[in-house]
Amino acid sequence: MAADLDRGDGARARQLVVLLPEYLKDASKKMKHGLMFVKLVNPCSGEGAIYLFDMYLQQLFEVKVFKEKYHSWFINQSVQSGGALHFATPVDPLFLLLHYLMKAGKEGKFQPLDQVVVDDIFPNSILLLKLPELEKSLCHVTEEKEITNKKYYKYSKEKTLKWLEKKVNQTMAALKTNNVNVSARVLSTAFFSSDQVASDKEEDYIRYAHGLISEYIPKELSDDLSKHLQLPELPASWPNPPSKKIKLSDEPVEAKEDYTKFNTKDLKTEKKNNKMTAAQKALAKVDKSGMKSIDTFFGAKIKKKTGKI
Amino acid sequence: MESRDETMMEKHRVHLRPITLRDAAPATLHLLPCEVLASRPAPVGRFFTPAIRQGPDGLEVSFRGRSLRGEEVAVPPGLVGYVMVTEEKLIGKQDFLGDSENNYQEEEREPVAAPEPLERDFDRFIGATATFSRFTLWGLETIPGPDAKVRGALTWPSLAAVIHAQVPED
Repeated sequence: MAADLDRGDGARARQLVVLLPEYLKDASKKMKHGLMFVKLVNPCSGEGAIYLFDMYLQQLFEVKVFKEKYHSWFINQSVQSGGALHFATPVDPLFLLLHYLMKAGKEGKFQPLDQVVVDDIFPNSILLLKLPELEKSLCHVTEEKEITNKKYYKYSKEKTLKWLEKKVNQTMAALKTNNVNVSARVLSTAFFSSDQVASDKEEDYIRYAHGLISEYIPKELSDDLSKHLQLPELPASWPNPPSKKIKLSDEPVEAKEDYTKFNTKDLKTEKKNNKMTAAQKALAKVDKSGMKSIDTFFGAKIKKKTGKI
Repeated sequence: MESRDETMMEKHRVHLRPITLRDAAPATLHLLPCEVLASRPAPVGRFFTPAIRQGPDGLEVSFRGRSLRGEEVAVPPGLVGYVMVTEEKLIGKQDFLGDSENNYQEEEREPVAAPEPLERDFDRFIGATATFSRFTLWGLETIPGPDAKVRGALTWPSLAAVIHAQVPED
C-alpha cells in the first residue's frame, strides 16, 4: 500500500486525519456515489470554506480543522507533518442560503430560489438547491409567494431574527447541559472562566451562544441579533492578557482562568506554546470583542482571521 | 487545507468513495508534540512502538532523545476516525464505476433530477485508507492532560449538532 501512496517525485501523498459522523459509514453501504468535498461560501466571512456534501442523506457538513503548532502524526508506518485533525459536522444549510437571500433581499423583491443562489466564485453552491429539506425550512427566514405553482421568496429580517433567537436558545440549553454532563472540567475551563460564571451566569451563556451563532451569519446580522436579544454592551475594556511566563510543567490554574476570558485562539495556542511574539500580542489585543468563537476549538484559521483585522 | 488544495477546490468536487469508508483497515495513530517537517514512510514499528513503556503515570517513550509522556484518547461516541488520501491521477468515470463494483448497476438515487452529472471529468477523488477509534496523544515530559487543546476540539461535534439542529416552528 505504501507504494500506492508514493508519487513519482518521491514525495508522499498527504494523509488527512478526519473524524466523520458514524452514520456516514452506515449510509455508505447504500450509496455508490454522491459523497463529496466542495468549496462553498462561509456565510460569516463570505470567503470560501470546505464542506462535505452527502447526496444520499441530503445533508451538508462543514469541515473544520484543528491544528496546533508543533504537532505531527505517526500513522502506521509513516509520518505526516502538521498534526491536523479534521472534523466534519452537520451544518444547517439555511445559514448558507441566508447569505444568498440577504444579498438578493437588497433588491427587495420576491425571487425563485434558483435566481437567489447564484455564485460565480463558488459554483458548487447550486448543490444547495438539491436539499429538499432546505426549501421547507425557508419559512423561518423568508416571506413567500406562490404564483402558478412556482414559489418566490423574499428575505425577512424580522423572521430571521426570531429564527436566530431560537437557535441561540437551543445552543444555550446545550451549553448548560454539556457543562454538567460532558467532561465538565474541560468544558468549564474551555468555555467559561470561573469568575464570569459566578458573577453573571445567564448573561454569559447567552453571550456565548450568540457568539457561536455569529460564526455563521454576517456581522451586520450578528449586531442586529445582539440588539434583538437585548444583550448589554460589553465592558469598554477587557483586561489585557497576563504577560507573565507560565511554566509548561505545572498546569497553572490561575493562568488558565485568565486566558479563558479571551476566547481568541491566539491566546489558547500561545498558552500551550508558552511564547508570544510582539506581533502576536498585538493581534491578540485587537481581538477582544468578547464573542466566544467556535474557532477557540480550532487553530487553523488563526492567521486568516487575525490578518483581516 | 493547503493553498494548493484551496485553488483546486474552487470549482472541483473531491468525491469521497463511499466503499472505502467501510473497507478501511484499522490504523495506529500517535499525535506527537513536535513538528516533523517531512511526510513520508517511517519505521515507526522499529524505533517508536517497541520503546513505549507503561509508566507510573501514563505511557512513556522517547523521540529524538526527548522524553514523551502520553495517553490514549478515544474518538468521541458517534464519530469514526479516518485517514484519507487524495488520488493523484484524475480518474475517469469509467474507472470509478468499475472500481471494485463488478456488478454495478446504474441507480438513479438522486431525488432531484440532476441538471449536470455529479461527477465530472475534472473532479478528483479521495478515499479512506485506514480507520481508527482512538489515538495516542503525546506531550513533552508531561501528559497533555484534560486541558489539552485537542481534547477541547473533540467536544466540538456534540455542540455543533445542537447549533445546527432544526428549530421548531411557531
